[in-house]
Amino acid sequence: METSATRYARQIALPGFGRTSQERLRAARVLVIGAGGLGSSVIPALAAAGVGTIVIVDDDTVELSNLHRQHIHGLADVGCPKARSAADAVAGIDPSVAVGVHEVRLTAANALALFADVDLVIDGSDNFATRYLANDAAAITGIPLVWGAVSQYAGQAGVAWAEKGPQYRDLFPSPPPPGSVLSCEAGGVLPTVCSVVGSIMATEAIKIITGIGTPLIGRVTTFDALTGGFRELAYGRDPNGTPIDALIDYELFCGTAPTPDTITVAELASELEAGAAITLLDVREQWEADIASLPGSLLIPLGSLESAIRDLRSAESVVIYCHLGARSARALETLKNNGFTTARHLDGGIDAWSRLIDPDMRRY
Amino acid sequence: MADDVRVRYFAAAAEAAGREEETLGAVPTVGELRAVLLARYGDAMARVLASGSFLVDGVVSRDDSRALGSRVDVLPPFAGG
Repeated sequence: METSATRYARQIALPGFGRTSQERLRAARVLVIGAGGLGSSVIPALAAAGVGTIVIVDDDTVELSNLHRQHIHGLADVGCPKARSAADAVAGIDPSVAVGVHEVRLTAANALALFADVDLVIDGSDNFATRYLANDAAAITGIPLVWGAVSQYAGQAGVAWAEKGPQYRDLFPSPPPPGSVLSCEAGGVLPTVCSVVGSIMATEAIKIITGIGTPLIGRVTTFDALTGGFRELAYGRDPNGTPIDALIDYELFCGTAPTPDTITVAELASELEAGAAITLLDVREQWEADIASLPGSLLIPLGSLESAIRDLRSAESVVIYCHLGARSARALETLKNNGFTTARHLDGGIDAWSRLIDPDMRRY
Repeated sequence: MADDVRVRYFAAAAEAAGREEETLGAVPTVGELRAVLLARYGDAMARVLASGSFLVDGVVSRDDSRALGSRVDVLPPFAGG
């Protein structure tokens, strides 16, 4: 007790903090998703401040290109699981902190059990599927979620706590089209932006656990390293948002699940009959569409596709078709290069449809 | 005639617009604001708007026909961690 009184003396001395706050930190169990750039800032801060239990979930291994921003890992950790490397760092700061290590990806199958076992979750993940999963699992379990994200020279952070205010989904109701938002790999990131945003996240966690201050509920704070400025954005619940009562397939939701490139006419017919949200993209010419087309198709002739691709901003899955399947295969390439990773094209084109599904359809 | 609306740009939206905020007049709906921003700021803004949120007086817009209020925030989502 004497040692811990000394260790935490400078924060216990804070007005409004005291021994009670310190005891709350010691009793707290925190789950940290991601031991990358944000986790590198968050995890040591929580361990040093005296959080009693830190559970780390990350399925990645340390790479040399991580070290500029992921300071929790060192050169000797390259090739090692990040979760284990981060746990070692915690032990170095304070071996009395209990650490849980999960060298797995957070998924809809394991999230609720992991969340139910902690008091607070911190999301420093690097992809939208995990971000929406973390938001929904937090809403279902009623646990506060501190989230943060970085890109290039900027970062943003907030708190989603279903019973007290709006959530991540109230800010971003649907995920961006796959490939439309830069990852750290593709766009780069200034390492110190991770430190700044991670520090804000750890601060929010400490505030929520101890009950001091006003958490970032219903507010996002944004940081721009190039101006050195912070700006805040207040937001409320989305009146059209649907209640979250179950987890879904987040890779599918975010359009990042691996999918086959082609779809048969029989598969398309059954998906349409089941009411699947599918954008049918017809890449033939107008005169061909005048002869026959699938109901509800969007006609963009192959030659105009590149310039019109911006109009395809739907999160729905896209099925491309043409007369026999050759032009749609080329269109598929174009779409995939523009981030539509789940787009498919119709095997055999509309000709196969008229032969196998709808014999009344005119052939040409 | 719609009232003036204060448009605040965050992150890549601010880079595309070359400013952090501005006041626009006679833009009645979210859809028309989208068109104005695309016309003014081109492809860079188009990339932001493909994934970013419009928050009208702090409430996210899913509908281009929605009337604007006094403030719109344009916020892109970030993936990185």
